[in-house]
Amino acid sequence: MCFKNLPVEFDENGKAYLREGVSNPYEYTPRKDLTESQIVDLLSRNGHLKEVNFDPVTRVAGALAFHSVTDLQNRKVVETNAVATLFRGYEVILKGRDPRDAIFISSRACGVCGGVHSTCAALTLEMAFGIQPPPLGIILRNMLLAAEFLYDHPLHLFLLAGPDYSQSAVEATNPELWEQAQTTACDHSNVHGYATIGDIMTDLNPLSGSLYLEALHMTRVAREAYVILGGKYPHPETIVPGGISTTVSITTFNEYYSRLVKLFDYSKKVALIWDDVFDFFLRANPEYAKVGSRRVNMIDTGLWDDPDLYDTTYENANAWGNGRWATPGVLVDGELVTTNLQDINIGLEEFVEHSFYDSWEGGRFPTDPAGGPLSPNHPWNKETKPRPGGINWKEKYTWDTAPRWDRLAMETGPYSRMWNTAVAQKMPKSEFIEATGHSLKMLLPKAMTPELELEWHIPKDWNALERNRARAYACAYTALVAMDNWMRGMQMLRNGITEVSTPFEIPRKGTQIGVGFWGAGRGYLTHHGVFENGKISNYQIVTPSTWMASPRDPFGNMGPYEEAVLNTPLLESFSKDEDFKGIDILRAIRSFDPCMPCTTHVYAGDHTIVREVNTCACGVD
Amino acid sequence: MSSTEDRTQQADPATTALRTLITGVGYRNLRDLSAGNAVVDRLETLDWPPEVEIEDLSYGPIDAIFRLREAAFDRLVVVGANARAGRIPGESYRRRWHYEPEPPELVQARVAEAVTGVISLENLLVICAHFEALPTEVTVIEIEPEDDSWGEGFSPRVERVVENVCTHLHAQFGLTEQDP
Repeated sequence: MCFKNLPVEFDENGKAYLREGVSNPYEYTPRKDLTESQIVDLLSRNGHLKEVNFDPVTRVAGALAFHSVTDLQNRKVVETNAVATLFRGYEVILKGRDPRDAIFISSRACGVCGGVHSTCAALTLEMAFGIQPPPLGIILRNMLLAAEFLYDHPLHLFLLAGPDYSQSAVEATNPELWEQAQTTACDHSNVHGYATIGDIMTDLNPLSGSLYLEALHMTRVAREAYVILGGKYPHPETIVPGGISTTVSITTFNEYYSRLVKLFDYSKKVALIWDDVFDFFLRANPEYAKVGSRRVNMIDTGLWDDPDLYDTTYENANAWGNGRWATPGVLVDGELVTTNLQDINIGLEEFVEHSFYDSWEGGRFPTDPAGGPLSPNHPWNKETKPRPGGINWKEKYTWDTAPRWDRLAMETGPYSRMWNTAVAQKMPKSEFIEATGHSLKMLLPKAMTPELELEWHIPKDWNALERNRARAYACAYTALVAMDNWMRGMQMLRNGITEVSTPFEIPRKGTQIGVGFWGAGRGYLTHHGVFENGKISNYQIVTPSTWMASPRDPFGNMGPYEEAVLNTPLLESFSKDEDFKGIDILRAIRSFDPCMPCTTHVYAGDHTIVREVNTCACGVD
Repeated sequence: MSSTEDRTQQADPATTALRTLITGVGYRNLRDLSAGNAVVDRLETLDWPPEVEIEDLSYGPIDAIFRLREAAFDRLVVVGANARAGRIPGESYRRRWHYEPEPPELVQARVAEAVTGVISLENLLVICAHFEALPTEVTVIEIEPEDDSWGEGFSPRVERVVENVCTHLHAQFGLTEQDP
């Protein structure tokens, strides 16, 4: 029984049904918060409260702003709101188009994760229209998306979040830590070559540090691996329903491998560098374990299909989902409550009480294709009805919606897929990765550096540092998934199997629905499509940032960013309020790897895209 | 081609020996904003002397740093659509580009944009300049867009200017009937 809040139960065959005797199973009454005038009154009576706004939090599209009220006297955050500042409306743009357009248009949702959106759209179409890719097409998809993540994770660790842990940032915000770092020896010098934590921090300095510069180079290596197989990135044009539209040979596989071995060596170093940095922070001040902390409520769709299991159907989604290299799953308070994609799907709802959208009636699809109950707020039943307005923290304040699973706020990331995979122990047999039930063991082969076994342990505390530590280990995990798939693909080529796609036709009549379950670098990704008479009639995208940057829901629960920041102690050293830089808040938010362009969509009516999308798929001001 | 700063369009044998990269930057399928890509597509079908290469650099500034460093061109010509206030849609604006160093925080912000997928002419130039990947001579040709919606093709005025830019670039750097 995985649902505690929704009235959904399961029969002896595991089929979901609505509990009998509940007249309005999905009905709810929005909770009333303090009014705006009550908040103003509260602020005026507490003179030491200070409003702190970060806008933008990240220049990834400049689309995430974060509002917080901090009590600097008691070093606490007392109020938080995550704000998605742009509406980009891909869901509106896609309506009425040819279903194949979803692959190319949704790719523009993000300049980092264009490949995952394309792939997720292709999976949606495969399910809706019954297009089965050949085994090598599935393997290639796995290899492509592994390469994409090997671009994504290092760039976050060293180019986006890394500067927050660099000498320049630490010396400015916690000089006592910097002093200590310079004389603290690293535990893993033998692998990465750094003598002290201070040496690592110096090389994390943006623009000049050698770890920063090396990451620029390594993102290129990963991208080369992608384009060798996929032809182009960002916004690949070779992802199609039923596989990929390119040809491969043993030569292209060898070229991919030559990049992969570089990433093996790099992954060894990355994991242990960040181990040393984060262990230093936690030893220097155990309070860092509270920065960005929140309940272990996580959700992930998993990814990297086993070609022997993936059959595109919703009916068999639990079976092929559980066969993935990254196991789908939901963690509630650290307990893995399901690994079934159908459970993940039927527990999903989106709420807009605090978002710039109107609500909708819903209810067109009361059940999923397997007969499981669906909420009127489920994406297949959702309508995107934008209603722009001014920000009111107690009413509507963001363009993000509030997705909830079993009415709980969930976070997602490479850590959720590793966590699920480690606990579930369902991944395909691998020469390199072992799920132990409490950890993932990863055997990185000898390349330029010796063979090395890494082990990522499910952390005791969940916080900003552990999110980034897991992301660092995810480089190794991802590289080894790529290796597993490279070996399988190579064997197919040696056996003369070269087919990478299946011809298909889009039905011009009738109604079909499909859902793409596919992980992005940042975690959970679903595309829900409804197709009628050969056109898209509804298309809904839920991204990792939709989950994590979400506003409060009608039940009063905060979104993950908001919750994590509210739990963050202000450990920064400052003597005057005006010196406060908010580094701990930023570390908390950035640990989620915020990618707002995925979440918010620029749409200016009548399918005209405003400047943000024209200059960049992500959208920059 | 209209120009505010440089109307020199004649082939110059003394300069064509320089190793030159003519490149475009932009997103495809965004009407006039795809002008840089279209110029490259059209130039690639023409004949060029061995010292002139044509390549689309829309794959991102970071990869462009490595490409430009390795190739060590003497001269770079970059074409892209760029909307700027006060300019006339459908006109092209050509200028020599010089890097005025930006504060490190701003460059870091541009790098963050670049690695997360922002493709823009200005980011490409600033980031490559910061990491000393640009040749000494850089010429920028900006096309002022008129139609910035989704789709293929251009507005009539931008269609004309794309063709003109191609004609002039080929006249300046390309092989002509007189060439051996």
